[in-house]
Amino acid sequence: MADSREKILGRLRTARRPFGDVRQAERYLPMVPVAQSSPAELRSRFIEEAEKLSCVIHEATGQEDAYKHLFDILGDDRRVASWDQSSLPLGNFNETLQRRGIQISRPDDPDVRVGITGVDALLASTGSLVLSSGKGRYRTPSLLPLVHIAVVREAQILPNLETWVAHRRAAGLDKMRSSSNIIIISGPSRTADIAMELVRGMHGPRELHIILLSA
Amino acid sequence: MNIQSNNFPTAARKAINDPDLQSAVAFGTNLGFQKRKLAMYADGFEHGEAMRQQSAGAKRRALHKLPDLLEQAEANMQKNGMTVLWAEDADEANRLMLDIARRHHVKLVAKSKSMATEETGLNHALEANGIEVLETDLGEYIVQLGQETPSHIVVPIVHKTKAAIRDLLVSKARMPPTDDTGKMTEFARDLLRQKFLQADMGVSGGNFVIAETGSLCLVSNEGNARMVTTLPKVHVALVGIEKIVETMEDYASLTQVLPRSATGQTMTVYTHIINGPRRPTESDGPEHLYVIFLDNGRSRVYATEYAEALACIRCGACLNGCPVYQVTGGHAYGWVYPGPIGAVITPLLKGLENASPLPHASSLCGTCKQVCPVDIDIPRMLLDLRKDLAERKLDGGQWWLGLRVWSWVNSSPLRFALAGRLSSFAMRTFSMKKLPGPLKGWTAHRTIPSFARKSFRQVWMEREKKLR
Repeated sequence: MADSREKILGRLRTARRPFGDVRQAERYLPMVPVAQSSPAELRSRFIEEAEKLSCVIHEATGQEDAYKHLFDILGDDRRVASWDQSSLPLGNFNETLQRRGIQISRPDDPDVRVGITGVDALLASTGSLVLSSGKGRYRTPSLLPLVHIAVVREAQILPNLETWVAHRRAAGLDKMRSSSNIIIISGPSRTADIAMELVRGMHGPRELHIILLSA
Repeated sequence: MNIQSNNFPTAARKAINDPDLQSAVAFGTNLGFQKRKLAMYADGFEHGEAMRQQSAGAKRRALHKLPDLLEQAEANMQKNGMTVLWAEDADEANRLMLDIARRHHVKLVAKSKSMATEETGLNHALEANGIEVLETDLGEYIVQLGQETPSHIVVPIVHKTKAAIRDLLVSKARMPPTDDTGKMTEFARDLLRQKFLQADMGVSGGNFVIAETGSLCLVSNEGNARMVTTLPKVHVALVGIEKIVETMEDYASLTQVLPRSATGQTMTVYTHIINGPRRPTESDGPEHLYVIFLDNGRSRVYATEYAEALACIRCGACLNGCPVYQVTGGHAYGWVYPGPIGAVITPLLKGLENASPLPHASSLCGTCKQVCPVDIDIPRMLLDLRKDLAERKLDGGQWWLGLRVWSWVNSSPLRFALAGRLSSFAMRTFSMKKLPGPLKGWTAHRTIPSFARKSFRQVWMEREKKLR
């Protein structure tokens, strides 16, 4: 097989390289020219785009309000899957849930209806959530349950994917690579494979709730 | 997958006479075509065109540097903890997959959608060796149930009506009968969910590989690609060598033109950047991650004037715009990749002698080039393939001979005029609607316009005489 590697690369190297005249772009045009830059404009754009994707936005004025929304969504559930509290923008998460009689189960518990995560960033132009895996930031709570709740802060809203990439580059790409899995989530799971009819909720969550903290 | 592209004329005729296929494909492709237009040009025509050019530049620059970027990607992937393997052809790719499966005592493989694995016939290779394979993309799962092949790069069962899908699920998967798409989907979700949790190995394709970071990037909507690349202990990705891009910025453009061109979405529900197996601080994700770079004829195409075909990002927009595909559907093309891009890469990867009708399966309307997010000049390549076909006399020399006669007649004003007079006379005198003898193939599916009594040259010459 090392032989195959040499053969493949050999054929590519002996060929006359095509497209020698194509230069690197000096400036990259973003796919969505997000002219808005004020935090208020980005916030309303994010909400608009996320709602287009059938996300449910819960605007929270503070921690107490956020917990109120959280428990509303949880309803009568007594178990959840969740990121570790150190990665959530909610104070005293473990204690608060315990007092409520809600058990934080294994992150990949297949019988849990609701999964709770934070996010790394939000993309206003497409209503997207960026989540990177890491210590206490499990992949499964945003994947296995029927309902995914993302608790986020307004300050995490970025204009678009290109801005996020620029930030990753500025912070050093090695840091980005240290997470094994970065997932950009835009809405609940869906399919249109059956006669092009859009159905929400395929293998991933059917509902995506975003609790948006103002600070 | 076995190639049957030489059967295109017969298969196409069969498709044309299938009313269910006709209505399903027409509906699906038209919807896709309209959605693409709205999404690509949401911020104006100039902006959409500028993004196409930017994406086209990104892919071509990557192709120019391909061997260097492959080595860079390999080095970065290895640093990330991935194992990188190279497969010259389909057989080798399958052998490598089998080796990995055996090494990890794999009994059940869960697959997300991958055209490259269709190309190599992975499922058959694994099953022949006693390993169960489950397609988890809803469309591909239904294809597997029906023991068929996908007919579209993006929407595998675009050719099937809802009734046909329902019947298949009822008879093969024991679904309680229902016409409600939501209920059908829920049934499939529950059934497949159990299998996801049991799979020992996940297999995916790869939409992009970012050379500068060694990242494997996927786009998906259902969540099955996330399952398949998260739950099993082993994840193997089969990726064509042409999927490499240079930078994160290139990737950001391409991962946004792809969904717009394919389904009219601004982002797919899940956009994955996979940087390796689980880290020591992480408690989910695969323990082993393998990436197989697949050649299977691509490096040979790289050296030809058809290298541009390797820029394809598999969005399916050309299929949705093509007047031929809209009528024949994908199966008629006889191999993995249908539509305009399929008509080009099938002969290139499998040999023109195995796909000789395909370069002619086009009216050269040019829609494919217009809708392609990376601006591939498919019509140019179809014409070049036709030339190759004629020069190699793969059709028994008819085109070669016919074109020589044609150019001989038309390269002299006298012969051209005489031929015109003769044809005009013959067609009008004998009321011919079809050409005779060896030329009858040309008019079998074309309508001959009626000849005027006087040719343009005659009218012009008479006019000149009068004016003098």
